[in-house]
This record gives sequence, structure tokens and C-alpha cells, in this order.
Amino acid sequence: MYYNNKRLALNIFWIVLGAVLTVLTITEVLDSSVYSGMGGAFMAVGALQLIRTVKYRKDSEYREKVDTEISDERNRFLRMKSWSWAGYFTILIEGIGVIVAMVLGERTIQLILSYSVCLILVVYWVAYIILSRKY
Amino acid sequence: MKNRIEEIRNEKGIRQEDLARLMGVSRQTISSLENGRYNPSILLAHKIAQYFGMTIEEVFIFEEE
Repeated sequence: MYYNNKRLALNIFWIVLGAVLTVLTITEVLDSSVYSGMGGAFMAVGALQLIRTVKYRKDSEYREKVDTEISDERNRFLRMKSWSWAGYFTILIEGIGVIVAMVLGERTIQLILSYSVCLILVVYWVAYIILSRKY
Repeated sequence: MKNRIEEIRNEKGIRQEDLARLMGVSRQTISSLENGRYNPSILLAHKIAQYFGMTIEEVFIFEEE
């Protein structure tokens, strides 16, 4: 069961958190429009997920569709492959960005992108070591 | 890896949707398997072969690349 009670509680938490942030912004306890935006976003995501949860519980056809989509091995393969591609392309784009920033003399951007590439590589190696011990 | 899923499925008169539901996968997965775009896990291959009452080798054609 994908949309279980934990997910239901999490959806309600997002809505409450969003409402709290919105109220605090309206009452000017928080003085940034960022919090207001975050509050609205949390409420929207929570409400959308809540609608999905209710539909999942009431509509058996929808439940079967969701469960199949989640457990489907090709879908899992596609998700893993997509993450893998996302990693490769991020490194590639950042690598190009480092060169472009270097040519343009943008030292700060060059450093940020370089550190970012290094961080991704470190995370990759840590993940590799952990997974190689597990499997 | 080639396979005979489409051929056997048609012989038995089973629709892709029905086979997918029985195997617990999406219809797109069955379609991708039949087109040879996706290779199944050993578990799914076993499940499909078992459902057809055949061995894995009879359904899936292993070819060294």
C-alpha cells in the first residue's frame, strides 16, 4: 500500500506547516515574502497529495494502477537510469561551466562549480563503497 | 535478448493488458519486452515462462553479444 497512514500524516503535516507559515507572514511575525511563498507551496503540495491519498483509498482501479506503476520493474529501472543520467549530465554541464567561467574570468562561479563537481564525485565514491559492501 | 512472448501470447489469445496484470507489471513493460527494448529480471522471466507453462529458454532466446 503506497499511500499509507504515514503518508497521510505527512500530507497533513505539510498543510499545517504551510498554513502556519502563511499566518505568520500575514500577521507580520515573519517579514519575508519567501515564507509566504513557501507556505503556499507546502499547502498546495499537501492538498494535492491528500487528494491522491483519498482517491487511492476509495478507487480500487486507481490503487491497482499506482501500485503497479511503483512496483513495475521497468519503471524502477527507468528511475534508476534517469538518476544516473542526471548525475552524468550535471557533471558534464558543470565541467563545461567551469571552463566557460575560467575563460570569462568569473573566479567565484568557477570555484563554486568546481567544488560542486568535486562534491558529486565524493558522494558517488561514498555511495559506491557503501553499495559494494552491501552487494 | 530476443523472446517469443508476443508469439506465445497470441497463440494463447491473451491481451498485453491481461498478461501485464497477471505478472504485476505495466502494459508498457510487456510491450517493451516484446519489442526487445527491455530485458526482464530473472524473476520476471521466470514468472512469464511459468505462466506459459514453459522453461525460460523456451521463451527467451539468449544470444552472446
